[in-house]
Amino acid sequence: MTDAPRPDGDREVRLPSGAGELSTRPRKTEPISPNAVPVIEAVNISKAFGATTALVDVSLKAYAGRIVALLGDNGAGKSTLIKIFSGVFPPDRGELRFRGEPVVFANPAQARQRGIATVFQDLAVCELLSVTRNIVLGREPQKGVGPLKWLDVKRADEMARSALHRLGVRWERGLDERGVNISGGERQSLAIARAMFFGSSLLVLDEPTSALAVRQAGRVLDHIVQARDQGQAVILITHNFRHALSVADDLTVLAQGRVAAYFRRDQIELDELTDLVARVA
Amino acid sequence: MAQGSGESAKIAPSRGVVYGETARRLMLRPETTALVAVVVLFIVFTILSPQLFPTKLTYISLMSVAAELGIVSIGVTLLMIGGHFDLSVGAALGLSSYFTVVLMRDYATPPIIAAPAAIVVGAGLGALNGALVVRFRIHSFVVTLGTMLIWRGVLIALTGGFPMTVTIPSDFKNIMSGPLLDGFRMSVFWFFLIGALATFLLVRTRFGNWIQARGQNEQAARNLGVPVDRVTIILFMLTSALAAVAGVIQVARFSSVDALRGEGIELQAVAVTVIGGTLLSGGYGSVIGTILGAITFGMIQVGLVLAGAPGHFFRTLTGVIVVGAVILNTAVARRMARSKPLGGFRRSSEAADAAIAAASQEARDGRGDERSRTVRPGLPEEPAQ
Repeated sequence: MTDAPRPDGDREVRLPSGAGELSTRPRKTEPISPNAVPVIEAVNISKAFGATTALVDVSLKAYAGRIVALLGDNGAGKSTLIKIFSGVFPPDRGELRFRGEPVVFANPAQARQRGIATVFQDLAVCELLSVTRNIVLGREPQKGVGPLKWLDVKRADEMARSALHRLGVRWERGLDERGVNISGGERQSLAIARAMFFGSSLLVLDEPTSALAVRQAGRVLDHIVQARDQGQAVILITHNFRHALSVADDLTVLAQGRVAAYFRRDQIELDELTDLVARVA
Repeated sequence: MAQGSGESAKIAPSRGVVYGETARRLMLRPETTALVAVVVLFIVFTILSPQLFPTKLTYISLMSVAAELGIVSIGVTLLMIGGHFDLSVGAALGLSSYFTVVLMRDYATPPIIAAPAAIVVGAGLGALNGALVVRFRIHSFVVTLGTMLIWRGVLIALTGGFPMTVTIPSDFKNIMSGPLLDGFRMSVFWFFLIGALATFLLVRTRFGNWIQARGQNEQAARNLGVPVDRVTIILFMLTSALAAVAGVIQVARFSSVDALRGEGIELQAVAVTVIGGTLLSGGYGSVIGTILGAITFGMIQVGLVLAGAPGHFFRTLTGVIVVGAVILNTAVARRMARSKPLGGFRRSSEAADAAIAAASQEARDGRGDERSRTVRPGLPEEPAQ
């Protein structure tokens, strides 16, 4: 598809003065269907903390079956934006829409109930709980008599196994392996598997590959693609442009709390992106 | 262990290696230190007073000490696994004892009502601790230091500093702490019953999983929908309620309460918990270890008297054992966890992981990003493809 920038903001570049123009090289791509309703949509969201402005008029859409990469330097507002999505705090101005309906999340639990699963970089795993217990944490299967309930250990193992299987994670070690023995990549994959198994519709991944060796990162990216192909909407926050370009369908660049640029994947190459982010940061 | 023997059948290592590995794994269990302390102290006291120590009367009195301290310590253990401290348990014990006495003496309440009422009062004190910790995000050490002083002050004010006595119906006395178990006190029965229930709660229930998760990674637990604040408050309620249970047992035993009832037990309970292998940093521990830790305490207290040692030896020896236990539980266990398993056994074990996690905690505090390297000594970077 070789269309010009669409008026609805499909491609939109707003650079600080003097940053220069960007070239576009459209390629064959899968456009977003005009009828598609985003799983989550931020509309002109602003947020300030005291005198510090974190976000100004930021809009972002995440569609089922698409990965949107959120790029930007430290302090660009990425974390603030995902915290708004996951209900940690509300925006000062602007609107959040879930499947087209305006929503207000009073707390993270409400966002979770809508199927928004946020995987924070270093907070995915309890180190001394087994893989199984980590996966079912918060949703432990129980059995019991009347009000007396205890863990259904066998069922928990089944749930853990099928959660990993569904994402295509090859788990060669035991499910009784504890968190400390799980590598960083495995932790991310485990968290993604867990979120999907319990019915998430939007995965928000905060720097899932930042601390990983190349091979591990590749595997986590595979699992992210797998999640997308199974219909998840994915917001991928990353510093790594290569990782973003290798999996994302859409890219949004934040700079100083504003959307500095928006592209579909086929509209940009690595060197351009690197160059752009360097200039707007 | 079962797994060790299974693998040994496959690769058939020498007997020495099997014994060595068994010993190594045993050393990694949290309960081992306390078990070793119990055995060593038993031998030492038996040598010191061979006529007096290894007798039933001794066992009865040391178990009676262990039971009351142990019941308090079980609550403290669960709380510490959940990542919190409670310094107010001693004062809570005293205050709920006071309520028991007042209800029975001044309001003629039958014990069947007074005892549960005192436990409810205990739980209420705990709820206050928990609410303060959760609401104001203050470290529980500070909160409970404050409430300890407050409750002790209230107790001194209420009693006027004088002991208060009460007539205890003999049935109640017997049920709580009568010598009905072949000479052993009923408090021992309650101690083991509560220990068994607490172990079940910790390892086989959803709430137990939440306690451990809270102690290991509060944010992760919160993100996954674990009601972390509710877990914290319930833990504090449980801890103070168990202190109240010990208080009721002491009222039944002594038929009285005084202003200093329970003083000092808060630190003894921490010591017992640590001897029992629970990590001070939370997330990991064992109620069975705590039971053994309480028995260690009972043994020191009774054994020293029988050996004719001066009273202050109790504190000194307790201190030595606490420090020794912590060294065994952390430093040595960590080294052993890092050490290569003998004869090609799998390295992994629950306790090894705990030791490594404690190390990784330090590494994280000190050196940030090196964690993943520190955490997984001797393991390949990734599982084989």
